[in-house]
Amino acid sequence: MNAIFELKNVTFDYSFDDTGPIRALNNISLTINEGEYVALIGPNGSGKSTLARHLNAILLPTAGEILVDGFTTMREENRWEIRRRVGMVFQNPDNQIVATTVEEDVAFGLENLGVDSSLMAKRVTEALEAVGLQSLKNHAPHLLSGGQKQRLAIAGVIAMRPRCLVLDEPTAMLDPRGRREVLETVKKMKQQEGITIVHITHFMEEAVEADRVIVMDKGKIIHEGTPAEIFTGGVDLYSLDLEIPVIPKLIQILRSQGLVVPPGVLKVDELVDYLC
Amino acid sequence: MLIETRDLRHTYMPGTPFQVEALKGISVKIEQGEFVGIIGETGSGKSTFVQHLNGLLRPSSGKILLDGRNPWAGEIKLKKIRSSIALLFQYPEHQLFEETVFKDVAFGPRSLGLEGDELEERVRFGLELTGLDYKFYKDRSPFNLSGGEKRRVAMAGILAMKPEAVILDEPTAGMDPSGRRRLMDQIERFHKEENLTVILVTHNMEEVSRLAKKLYVFSGGQLVLQGTPAEIFKNTALIRKIGLDLPPITDLLHKLKKTGRNIRTDLFTLEEASREILHHYRGG
Repeated sequence: MNAIFELKNVTFDYSFDDTGPIRALNNISLTINEGEYVALIGPNGSGKSTLARHLNAILLPTAGEILVDGFTTMREENRWEIRRRVGMVFQNPDNQIVATTVEEDVAFGLENLGVDSSLMAKRVTEALEAVGLQSLKNHAPHLLSGGQKQRLAIAGVIAMRPRCLVLDEPTAMLDPRGRREVLETVKKMKQQEGITIVHITHFMEEAVEADRVIVMDKGKIIHEGTPAEIFTGGVDLYSLDLEIPVIPKLIQILRSQGLVVPPGVLKVDELVDYLC
Repeated sequence: MLIETRDLRHTYMPGTPFQVEALKGISVKIEQGEFVGIIGETGSGKSTFVQHLNGLLRPSSGKILLDGRNPWAGEIKLKKIRSSIALLFQYPEHQLFEETVFKDVAFGPRSLGLEGDELEERVRFGLELTGLDYKFYKDRSPFNLSGGEKRRVAMAGILAMKPEAVILDEPTAGMDPSGRRRLMDQIERFHKEENLTVILVTHNMEEVSRLAKKLYVFSGGQLVLQGTPAEIFKNTALIRKIGLDLPPITDLLHKLKKTGRNIRTDLFTLEEASREILHHYRGG
């Protein structure tokens, strides 16, 4: 499998005038393969967002190196190639809107790349269809719901045909419908477009959807594994201010009371299928 | 304090092309010591509604009554309402402004006229209720704390006023799971020990179904459902249609029932749900 991200002993210090440097990432080594869906979890302040900002060279390591599809983030001349490959979506949908219609908002990034107009129109239409916003293309973005705004942000990023989508708590400010819409869109990007997903979240039940879960604490990766490995009791999440999602927790109780449930079962539908 | 609204309506920017009818006749009655949840999708009117309860917004028509008295007819002072019914907004850490945690927490009680030992006692009370050690935190700058700590300082400032009711608008958005759990545990404890009324506005169905005894469901500016969590989440189709979700446990129980089992669906805690599932499936 092709590695899209290779982090080699990455350390990052934030420096403040009054307090001296604070180590946010401490000697992290990590490989993420093309087409993988990786969830990044950890308590507030564990370094998740700092790590995400290294993946498209918004931040550069204090020590160590990051390769994005083979390009090191340390060289200025690589940044263009890197940012074309890695799209970012942030928490607050209102801070990511730049244009006065949905369609123009998606086109913004392409204009910057100098894509010609017939190709641009095609890319914009495809991106809006992929996130299910085609019917709203002439609407004003600020009148969209939170979930629609986040899907618009995703459309703006995927129109540039990135290889990877980095999402930093994309659902934190959304209502249940908005969360559902965004999560379904993210899964579709992976399944249909083969886009690599790096998803930072505080919602443990969202991390269950990933292929691999990475747990961070105090600037280090302290566990990684499949959702089944991380959420079935082997890892002490509570001491990390994290927890097991409700359904895996329920399954744990059922097992302890003598009900046999196979190890891969973590979601409502899987449990229903198994029991019936 | 009995909090009551009668046919409460609110229109933003009336008489302009931007006129929006945000609340279309809401009547509720919340007794002292109740723990109620308010749910509904973004834009359904939840936040507009709760801002009426402590006098921040004035109804366009209809009434708000506190212990039967109408603040907008001069029957009770707005200042009295705002110290009895505290409102904690989303991202309350943005409400912090003082140089030290002590001063920030003291701001509310000081405005009630407290000083000296009495004031210190209140600050200690607020901090300890939210799980922050008084000595360790009192002289620190609120701006150098973590997100979860800041939020608890903001909460401490409110509890230090010893309100009769608190309105919490998405208090845990963006917090890590244990920060979320600790904050909610403290609120629940305070609710029980001090008979505090809690009005919780949230998108977290799991949390609200476990904590609140009564839910109000908003959609398009109207109160479309009210009742116990069990009564509300029976309406699975309507709940999804108005943009909400079932709590995961309820979703599971409903799906098991659909397969033909006569299983209960009105259970919201892990203990009750696991007992019910074991009863039906162990050895069977």
